Amino acid sequence: MQMRSVINYTLRMSTDALPNPSRRRAWSRGLLAGPVCFLTAFAVMAGASLWYPQGAAQINNIAVPIIVFPAIWAALFFYLMLDRKLGRAWIVAGVLLLAHAALIGQHLMAVQAAKHAAAPVTEGAAP
Amino acid sequence: MIALSQGRTKELLAIHGWSGVLLGLLLYAVILTGVIAVFAHEIGEWSAPLPYAEHELPQQGLDAAMRARANEVDPAYVDDISFFSDTAGRIRTFFHTHGTKPGESTPTDRGVEFDLDPRTLAVLDRREGWADELHEQNLPAALADFFVELHVSLHLPNPWGLLVTGILGLAMMVASVTGFLVHRHLIRELFTLRKKKDPLLVKRDAHVIAGTWNLPFAFILAFTGSYFSFAGAFAIPAVAMVAFGGDQEKLIETVVGVSVPENKTPAPFANLDAMLADAKARTGAVAGFVSISHYGRADAVVSLSMMPLEGELASDNLIYNGATGAFVQQKPFLGQTPSLGNDLFLLMTPLHFGHFAGIWSKAVWFALGFAGAYVTLTGMLLWTTRRQHQPGWAKLARAAHWMGYGLPLALAAVPLARFAAPLLDVDVRAAQYTTFIGAALLATAIALKVRDLDALRRVLLAGTGIALLLAAPLRWLTGGPGWITVFDAGLATVIALDVALLLAGALCIAAARRAKPATLPMNERLPEEASAA
Repeated sequence: MQMRSVINYTLRMSTDALPNPSRRRAWSRGLLAGPVCFLTAFAVMAGASLWYPQGAAQINNIAVPIIVFPAIWAALFFYLMLDRKLGRAWIVAGVLLLAHAALIGQHLMAVQAAKHAAAPVTEGAAP
Repeated sequence: MIALSQGRTKELLAIHGWSGVLLGLLLYAVILTGVIAVFAHEIGEWSAPLPYAEHELPQQGLDAAMRARANEVDPAYVDDISFFSDTAGRIRTFFHTHGTKPGESTPTDRGVEFDLDPRTLAVLDRREGWADELHEQNLPAALADFFVELHVSLHLPNPWGLLVTGILGLAMMVASVTGFLVHRHLIRELFTLRKKKDPLLVKRDAHVIAGTWNLPFAFILAFTGSYFSFAGAFAIPAVAMVAFGGDQEKLIETVVGVSVPENKTPAPFANLDAMLADAKARTGAVAGFVSISHYGRADAVVSLSMMPLEGELASDNLIYNGATGAFVQQKPFLGQTPSLGNDLFLLMTPLHFGHFAGIWSKAVWFALGFAGAYVTLTGMLLWTTRRQHQPGWAKLARAAHWMGYGLPLALAAVPLARFAAPLLDVDVRAAQYTTFIGAALLATAIALKVRDLDALRRVLLAGTGIALLLAAPLRWLTGGPGWITVFDAGLATVIALDVALLLAGALCIAAARRAKPATLPMNERLPEEASAA
């Protein structure tokens, strides 16, 4: 009972603190700045290994996204938390997430296709 | 002053408070154990001292010691050999190969681990098995490992522990950024302590002063901490999946390794001591970590990770041909040529661990980390105490007191188990874990029984003080060297930690004897809230 009161109070306080006092908007904002933000930051980090420049050492595209992941998350979190237009924030997160998911998916499919293309040659060469 | 609208300040204040309150209890545990883990080497030396203080790999004799050990292990285990000076000052030598433990899917290491005396290179201990089993058998590093693992993963299984601590790091980052933005008179608040005002205002001022001075450091620790947690938990596997089709070994080979064509032809191994001497002549530094792959083969490679020179944060790796002993190249830790990725990577470790300038930088990191734990605890206590007469908040205020003062009690009890366990002939690591849980349960029972929060604080502080006061005498009574012996041996760390624990214990007892004036919940708002309203 006490815990429920804490949760209710938490929700009420959170709702009061947001620009729009509707509880639905508060849940939407929480979902966006919580799990959606984390997933999007994760997708950006993983996808960046495909578009971030490799540099002369050819490792920047791997090392830099992993190292700056907390910064990617933080920048995204504050934007998604503070943008007064909730719909726009959803669109930005959605575009980032889907674009990187598509990039990763397309790359993985290309890798699989290359493996399949190489497989018959190997089988044919086997005694 | 940072110009923010009232609405923005209100939002940021809400984010600041809730990020702290919702995750503050666990965040406090991670910060407090991190403060202790800064001194992992010193704790290792204190709990299992050798007759002398040595913290570096020897420059002579390692070659003979390695050959002697290589001749007595399973030939499969000479596939990979590593040496480093561990937290307890021993030279930890691991002869191993890679495999998959029955019933598991992730590859791991299996082999024989030796603890060598850093001066005589005599074998002090020998352990055999899978990597996790070797870890469990390692007695000298047990106490330091307990605190480090509690900090790194809260003793939860991987990757969940790392995921939790990574999220806590993000929460700390949010709290530090919003803390910076929300305080409207940052410079003034660095020096404002209204001692004669309401006790709650004084506490709030102390929280703000410690937090404001600590802001840049808190941000650095939070950023680097979440990087370390997430990199191990999922970032490296995820990037390996995307960029290398899931092949983590290929990723590591690309990023760290040196590409050498496979050649299994048996070949005598060159002199390791000569390679160490050559590396020192080239860089002026000593090797901190030695890695040998394919010992006894024509494609053997020796990688020497050099310790940073004085005044520098990072250093390079030197690569040698293991069969000829010829110098191959000096390379950055990541990749073959200097890069932004390598620079950022090398910056993370000293920034998080604070060991770049020896004991002095560690002391600063300890002090700033301690301030961080203080800010987290006082933030939770302020937030919950002010609301304790509202429904539900009394329990949260009690939980904050329980964690705030109960965790130090549970941590202080662990060294007692470390020293008592060998006498009682019980497993040291299990005893440490059981004692920690037992003390935490005791603190829980006390927190449920004692109604007055200040009385609860005093009881738990007194318990912590007693445990801290007992640690040094127990170390000595259970066979540890006395002060005259360690002074003669130059082991200043042992005396320093004994004195620090006795002092900390006395301070806890003194604090427990002092009742705090009752703090009335404030009906009026704190300054930043008032300005936001």
